[in-house]
Amino acid sequence: MTRRHPFTLLTIAGALPALAWTLPAPVGGAVTAATALTLAASRGLHRGLWPAVLTAAPFWLFLFILHDVPTTVAIGLRITTMVASFVWVAAALEPARLVEAMVAAGWSASVAYVFAATLSAVPLLKARARRIVDAQRCRGLAASGGVTARLRALRALALPLILSALHEVDERSLALETRGLVPGVRRTPLAPPHDSAAERVLRWGLVALCVAALTWRVA
Amino acid sequence: MSIRLLVLIPVAAAISLALSAVVDAVALPLFLDTTGTILATALAGPAVGIATGIVTSAVNTLRNPTFWPFVVVQIIVALYAWAAARAGLFRSLRTAIPAGLGLGVIASVTSTPISYFVFGCTTTGGIALTTALGKALGLPPLGACFFGSFVSDFGDKAVTFALVTSVLHALPRRAAARFPWALRAIGAA
Repeated sequence: MTRRHPFTLLTIAGALPALAWTLPAPVGGAVTAATALTLAASRGLHRGLWPAVLTAAPFWLFLFILHDVPTTVAIGLRITTMVASFVWVAAALEPARLVEAMVAAGWSASVAYVFAATLSAVPLLKARARRIVDAQRCRGLAASGGVTARLRALRALALPLILSALHEVDERSLALETRGLVPGVRRTPLAPPHDSAAERVLRWGLVALCVAALTWRVA
Repeated sequence: MSIRLLVLIPVAAAISLALSAVVDAVALPLFLDTTGTILATALAGPAVGIATGIVTSAVNTLRNPTFWPFVVVQIIVALYAWAAARAGLFRSLRTAIPAGLGLGVIASVTSTPISYFVFGCTTTGGIALTTALGKALGLPPLGACFFGSFVSDFGDKAVTFALVTSVLHALPRRAAARFPWALRAIGAA
């Protein structure tokens, strides 16, 4: 399944929750949840099924606290479908292949850059945030006490993180300019994922199925 | 869009997502997940702010898929922050905090229907528990859901606006002037 075109994987991951919310509960949700959990399980117990179940479990608990059993089952199956679909696609989809597919489809290289840069910047900034927390604690910052003291501590921790990140904007933009990334320019993909006619038919078929289900429910 | 503004989008989105580490350190019931959206809007206008909000939601969705439907809230936050920047409401904490409280109300009004109809008000443990408290107080289901969203959003957005105002004022004027909206947002232009 991982060798499928990235757009096919995304279409399946989008269509399953759409159908879960459109088709009548609880049967529609049960079918889509079973499909999504099966897909998640295909990525392995630890990468697919277990994260999906662990993410969906708290929702079932809170639904049970807030609603009656039929509502809990109806909404719970929909949320399970959404969670399992995204866990599966996150495990099955390689970001590099998605970027290649986007570039091959004519998307601007800037769009691909924005997503790839965010994904790579988050762990770096989180690590920097932890270093700032440690450094400020060494200087005697107390991140405890009343709300006012905690808000002061928040400012002392967040400000250096945000300012240092903003100072990097110039460095990053200079690096991109020297590499020739101009907004709006199209690039040639090095290894575009194969997109067969059967997969295109599958994608459009899923879109048509979602539209048909919505029309049936609204009519 | 210039390269500098393009680069600002992933940096601002990463700020929103990385601030969770800081929030964990001070143990306050805050999200601060719209900080990057508001900051990017105040620095560079609505297009960059909306793009930052969408990217933040998309990347957050990979961690927890339930974030995606709330992308609408990020867009509304960006539009509100743009209006605040145009009015120079980031000029001091005295103007920024009430503006943040206003955003808290708007954000909770926007997120309540999504939370209620899509997730049955179970988006996070905190919101679910405050919703349960609202039900215990005798509120109708939708009212209890709004109560849960309001409690979590009201203070969060005020703190976020105050934080962004602090950042804008801490930026050297020369650095701020490189972004098209920064000086106007703090009432210096």
